[in-house]
Amino acid sequence: MNILEVKHLKKYFATQKAVDDISLEIGTGSIVGLLGPNGAGKTTLLRMITGIFYPDSGEILYEGKKFDPETDTEKIGYMPEERGLYKKMKIGEQAVYLARLKGLSKSDATMRIKEWFERLEMQTWWNKKVEDLSKGMSQKLQFVITVLHNPGLIILDEPFSGLDPVNANLIKDEIFRLSKNGSTIIFSTHRMEQVEEICEHIILVNKGKKILDGKLADIKNDFKENIYSISAAALPDQVSSSLFAVEKHASEKLLVKLNPGISNNEVLQYLINQGVAIRSFHEVLPSLNDIFIRLVEGSPNARQFEQTR
Amino acid sequence: MKKISLIIQREYLTRVKKKAFLLTTLLFPLLYMGLIFGTTYLGATSKQKLSVAIIDQSGYFPDSMLKQSNLRDSSILFTAVSDTFTPANFRKNGFDGYIILPEMEWQRGNKKIKFVTDKTHGLGTENIIENKLNLIWSETVNEKLGIGNDKKMILGSSSLAVKEENLENKNADSIVASTIGYASGFLIYFILLIYGSQVMMGVMEEKTNRIAEVVVSSVKPFQLMLGKIIGISLVALTQFLIWVACIFLVYFGGKMLGSGNAFASTMVEGIQHSFASVNLPLILFCFAFYFIGGFFFYSSLYAAIGSAINEDVREAQSLSFPITLLIIFSLVMMTVAIRDPNGPVAFWGSILPFTSPIVMMARLPFGVPGTVPVWQLALSMSLLIIGFLCTTWLAAKIYRTGILMYGKKASWKEMLKWAFRK
Repeated sequence: MNILEVKHLKKYFATQKAVDDISLEIGTGSIVGLLGPNGAGKTTLLRMITGIFYPDSGEILYEGKKFDPETDTEKIGYMPEERGLYKKMKIGEQAVYLARLKGLSKSDATMRIKEWFERLEMQTWWNKKVEDLSKGMSQKLQFVITVLHNPGLIILDEPFSGLDPVNANLIKDEIFRLSKNGSTIIFSTHRMEQVEEICEHIILVNKGKKILDGKLADIKNDFKENIYSISAAALPDQVSSSLFAVEKHASEKLLVKLNPGISNNEVLQYLINQGVAIRSFHEVLPSLNDIFIRLVEGSPNARQFEQTR
Repeated sequence: MKKISLIIQREYLTRVKKKAFLLTTLLFPLLYMGLIFGTTYLGATSKQKLSVAIIDQSGYFPDSMLKQSNLRDSSILFTAVSDTFTPANFRKNGFDGYIILPEMEWQRGNKKIKFVTDKTHGLGTENIIENKLNLIWSETVNEKLGIGNDKKMILGSSSLAVKEENLENKNADSIVASTIGYASGFLIYFILLIYGSQVMMGVMEEKTNRIAEVVVSSVKPFQLMLGKIIGISLVALTQFLIWVACIFLVYFGGKMLGSGNAFASTMVEGIQHSFASVNLPLILFCFAFYFIGGFFFYSSLYAAIGSAINEDVREAQSLSFPITLLIIFSLVMMTVAIRDPNGPVAFWGSILPFTSPIVMMARLPFGVPGTVPVWQLALSMSLLIIGFLCTTWLAAKIYRTGILMYGKKASWKEMLKWAFRK
């Protein structure tokens, strides 16, 4: 069952095809990473999913039914990349107000906020104003406000930017907890190490188009280059063979790329015959960062403006 | 609907709870009064005192009569000087100017008398001097004609006076009408300017704080805009009702104090007289209508501008200038309309929705259906409703795009493009 399905979604602005025919499916309960360089169209895509923008064409299905901003936005929690809160409003009042806009009753909202504030040790914040908070603190508050109404779909745009490692871990744990409780999470970022840590499924967009979509493990497998790392007690100064190409040669470590059709055993056999005392031998999968760079490379850093019509 | 009412509540409560609200509610009437009384007071005290030397060669202006006329009007003091006085040296002798009254025939007088001075004084000065001299002169003429004191009394008191009576409205009083007209026109003018820019600043605040994106992921941009406008209009209405309540308080309070207190009773009389001479319920109803209609008409435009601006206050000023100009223009039309409430300026100004909230309010106290026929009122009201529906619709389209658009320099051209895009 997919909580969200997007079919041939398009949104053109005057000078840019921000989202150009993107289709995707988000499984209920999954944690999905939406990746892409700056200006790839991530935010525009998310704004359509959250009902802020109307698509030019295409279809969005929420829980199998046509997405209706009127009712479905209450089931979505969206934390935009640019954080925003009323600076002069008291934090407690503000959280209650924003929760009520999401359809919670006043008493319900108050109760849940107290619960969250207690768990994240924010109880003393209630009567403070947002302008009194540090950047990291207001980030935490923004997160709480986003998930307060217990949405089925949580969309977080760069949720860790500006957070110190302790608070980042705190939020990360909360994300896992929410996921365990059945929420689906879309997580938009260009910080790859976080994606590798958190997401099971990734979608990569570039220049308004989807260029990659799949399980993280599968993608890594698809992009592997038959590179193996060998560590040994002592390596001969010169290692060369028709079986592999040497990528990197250090005193106790060797990085090799196997030639097509060559098996691990053949390489090991060869090395043993050479008298190398092998300590470890394992495959090196490409990091998401490498994959990302490889796929996006060649496209200019900033998108050029173009004629759309 | 529930969400709009939440937004209205927030906009209303955050503003009314502020100390600034209480302060402006109290201070505005005080400042307003201060302005009126202050200018009257300054006008009264700043009347220039001039000392004028009179060189009388005709013999009709003896020193005693000049002194008598100085007692009656002391703003310009006449002093008789002897023939040895050198006119050119009037400054040295402490005079601001001199007048030579040559010999003249009592039947003709003299139309070429000069007030010689070294500064240009206002129009009023000439009039006062003329009046003072003529008073003395008429004594002389009366005497020559043989008119005694009893006949002089008759000449002074026997005259005709004309007062307007409107068949449609027996109580009409053009002074009270123009006062009420001015007051309500000005009040709407202030409310449009002050609260209109509050709407603009509020929208700007939401945009620059980036809270807009958080909120529009819960509600439609149109709901956010409408909630803000309604919320702020309620704040303005609250303020207005407090002022009306104060007037009634003074009225009933004065009545309770009764005739024993002279000040209170004149106040009560004044208010009673004003109330009696106009159709108060109609005026109050129309005020509420034009106030709300005008506010929606203009504040939605202000909201649209607020949504197009990026943090730059100067940009806000230059973009909102044409709107502000329209409001100021309405005020100018209003002053014309009060002088001539039946003229073409008054008519068109009170029909077109750009100016009708101010101009029609100024015309209404002159009487319905006497000065303002019912069809004109109906036309003006329906045009205002159509007008604010149009501006709100246009503004909503601009707002929807503008509120999430950062970094782009806003211009009227750009905004119109957003408004008329499909």
